Amino acid sequence: MLFNSYPFILLFLPAVLAGYFWLGRRSNLAPVIWLALASLTFYAIGNWQFVALLLLSIAFNYGIGHLLIVAKLGPSQRKAALAVGVAGDLLVLGIFKYAGFAIDNINALAGTHIAVHILLPVGISFYTFTQIAFLVDAYRGQVAAYALPHYALFVTYFPHLIAGPILHHKDMIPQFEQERSKHPQSHLILCGLIIFGMGLFKKTGLADGIQPLVMQAFGPNTPTFDQAWIGALAYTFQLYFDFSGYSDMAIGISLMFGIFLPVNFNSPYKATSIIEFWRRWHMTLSQFLRDYLYIPLGGNRLGRVRRYVNLMVTMLLGGLWHGAAWTFVAWGALHGAYLCINHAWIHFAPPIPRRLAPVAGFVGFVLTFLAVVVAWVFFRADSLATALLVLSKMAEPGNLALGRGEIAYALFIAVYAAFAWFMPNTMKLMGYDHRSRKVGEAFAASRLHSVYLYAAAAVLAFGVLGIQSRSEFIYFRF
Amino acid sequence: MSTPTKSLIKFLAAVVAVLVAAPVLTFIVDPLQLFRPARVVDAMYSIDSRMQNAGLIHSQTFDTVFMGTSLAIHFRQSDMDKALGVRSLKLAMSGSNSHEQSFVLATAMERHPARVIWEMDDWIFRDAPEVDANAYIPADFYRRNARGIASYLVSGAMARESLWILARSVPPLRPVVTRLTNGIMFKFPLAQAEDINVLRPSDNVAEIYNAGKALAAFKFITDPVRSNYLAEGYETGAMMRNFERDAVALIAQNPSVTFDIYFPPYSILQFVAMRDASPTTLAIVYDVTARIAQRLTQLPNVRLYDFRRVKDVTHDLGNYSDVVHHSPAVDAKVLHWLARGDYRVDPKMPLASLDELKAQVEAYRVPQ
Repeated sequence: MLFNSYPFILLFLPAVLAGYFWLGRRSNLAPVIWLALASLTFYAIGNWQFVALLLLSIAFNYGIGHLLIVAKLGPSQRKAALAVGVAGDLLVLGIFKYAGFAIDNINALAGTHIAVHILLPVGISFYTFTQIAFLVDAYRGQVAAYALPHYALFVTYFPHLIAGPILHHKDMIPQFEQERSKHPQSHLILCGLIIFGMGLFKKTGLADGIQPLVMQAFGPNTPTFDQAWIGALAYTFQLYFDFSGYSDMAIGISLMFGIFLPVNFNSPYKATSIIEFWRRWHMTLSQFLRDYLYIPLGGNRLGRVRRYVNLMVTMLLGGLWHGAAWTFVAWGALHGAYLCINHAWIHFAPPIPRRLAPVAGFVGFVLTFLAVVVAWVFFRADSLATALLVLSKMAEPGNLALGRGEIAYALFIAVYAAFAWFMPNTMKLMGYDHRSRKVGEAFAASRLHSVYLYAAAAVLAFGVLGIQSRSEFIYFRF
Repeated sequence: MSTPTKSLIKFLAAVVAVLVAAPVLTFIVDPLQLFRPARVVDAMYSIDSRMQNAGLIHSQTFDTVFMGTSLAIHFRQSDMDKALGVRSLKLAMSGSNSHEQSFVLATAMERHPARVIWEMDDWIFRDAPEVDANAYIPADFYRRNARGIASYLVSGAMARESLWILARSVPPLRPVVTRLTNGIMFKFPLAQAEDINVLRPSDNVAEIYNAGKALAAFKFITDPVRSNYLAEGYETGAMMRNFERDAVALIAQNPSVTFDIYFPPYSILQFVAMRDASPTTLAIVYDVTARIAQRLTQLPNVRLYDFRRVKDVTHDLGNYSDVVHHSPAVDAKVLHWLARGDYRVDPKMPLASLDELKAQVEAYRVPQ
């Protein structure tokens, strides 16, 4: 089921909210079970064939977690339990996500013609990572025993299940246990609706609107210089508005249930360095990769060379997490290289005088944005050959089409760039503070409260009016 | 009632107000002219024929319907009217398959035209999704059922177009809005139905249609890397099933309508490409069109024309932009032939023209 669909907005969400708060008057556990069942229903609509796999994954990880938390195991037994748990998760992910890729490569190398057709279960990358984090923390002794309904809800919670944000059990389960969230809070529902509306508008009004321009670079015809840039930039903004729109919607929906989800985007295209970009883009994935991959690999504790190696390994695997294709590996490798260069620059370059800081900041901003756009070409392309073709055209300024269409498209992109670079992001606008569980305080106290309220209502309405059939989110396929 | 609750109610009321206002605006302006021909505001038209046809069928006056694929897309209705003495409505759709064409024609039949002119490619009968599973054609707009009307009215894009058309209809704003209207930003940029998908005066015909482009296209499609595409979807059984369902059934259901059906004048390179790179596909094309010709010539309300054998046109590669798409000069010739009844397939010898084509294909040598 899609957030940007009438059945979700008009039927599913109101029904689940009503049931949740109605049950909340009677019990503290029943709403949790209700929400977990609703989440499974949400997943089953369109993905029913993968429900059993999701339930098995929950049972398996809960069982291993139980061994690590409750059973009195010795150190070696605990290590073995963790190894079994993580290996089991990675095995399932490997079979469903990477088997086809592996076979294709074997075929290419060995000249064989083995064929495998395995469908990718929606959301598998997200719920696998969420649960690996749970097992690792359970092994580290950082997890209290959770009740099964709360754990099941933590994994299946429908606002995040399909495309994140990647949740952390320590953040979510205590919120599910709270009694307060089970009673309707008008302020949170209003703020949730406004954030949801902004996300919906980003998706239906902005991302879907610019999507046709992407074909300028990635369509069947070889692009010219300007068409290649238009297509690459269009994808840069499409991906941002699509994914950050989804994340806003997830946060907004969850807020209506009184649950605060972590922020996933913080105006990433305003970053002045690649390090900063990764603190602003898909933040929950960055945090996951840092805490459960980069730091266990040694992080920056084992010398400069190892740090660069660890960065490359982390980003390569991060790339592969997005999809089983060499284009994603290339994307991860590029970002790994960018990060290494950025860290080396910090270490080796002379400090910049204070008076030149604004200029340096601007140069950093431009270079970061261009580096990100170049990397997105690999992320979007169907093959490395296509990516290299588009990039080669982006470096051929003599080959211009510059027709009426290209000029109009460029203006169109300029509007999107203005949104991404100069507008405050949704969370800033709404004063959303995940840590302190606060939202919309300035908005509620503002003298212009009514104006903002009606503007936000118009944004939600335009978002609803922009709904098209068959418009999935890009991150669903990861 | 608490302040947040009051704000929440105000917010929801405002959302509902906008959600109601947008459909009302679209209903009044009716950019597609689905409910009524434009009177209050200027009529505007889209080049998206799959969508626009739904409105044209209900808003235009016509006695003849013109159907086809991209090979028929550039015809001007006024040229058709002049050449054939009819009041025509062009409903051709680029890349359309037989399900789409039959569905659109069936809707047009509700307006009781006297004649259908149908540019019929063999490949339209390859298997294709049903219209309801086809994302490109808004089938419910044609049916004007509750779902179609709801998706038309509850649409931000249509509300935006309505607002734009409304602004264009206000005299002081008209010059500015007209200048800003273009097909890139707006769905309905054309002021005349006549201009839908015709070549613009600024288009350089000699640059679009020339032998160099035709030969380059030939080289492209016969390249061993891509030549498999020539055979894609060609399967006699499926094609004949679709032909019976989409063409014969429609013709039989409308016995009072005259169907002038023609096989378009592809360049000879189209068949030669198959001859050289995919002979089995060429055999299927011959077989399917032979059966189609035999079947259609037996139907009392069909006149079949085969322009594939018109050597003067099909062997002059300067008429083409690739191996199939012909120039406006050939459009004019097609109308001329239809008016005079030239190249009509004789029901007693339905395969004679095909045999002529086969001989031409056999003999042809591609210029080096």
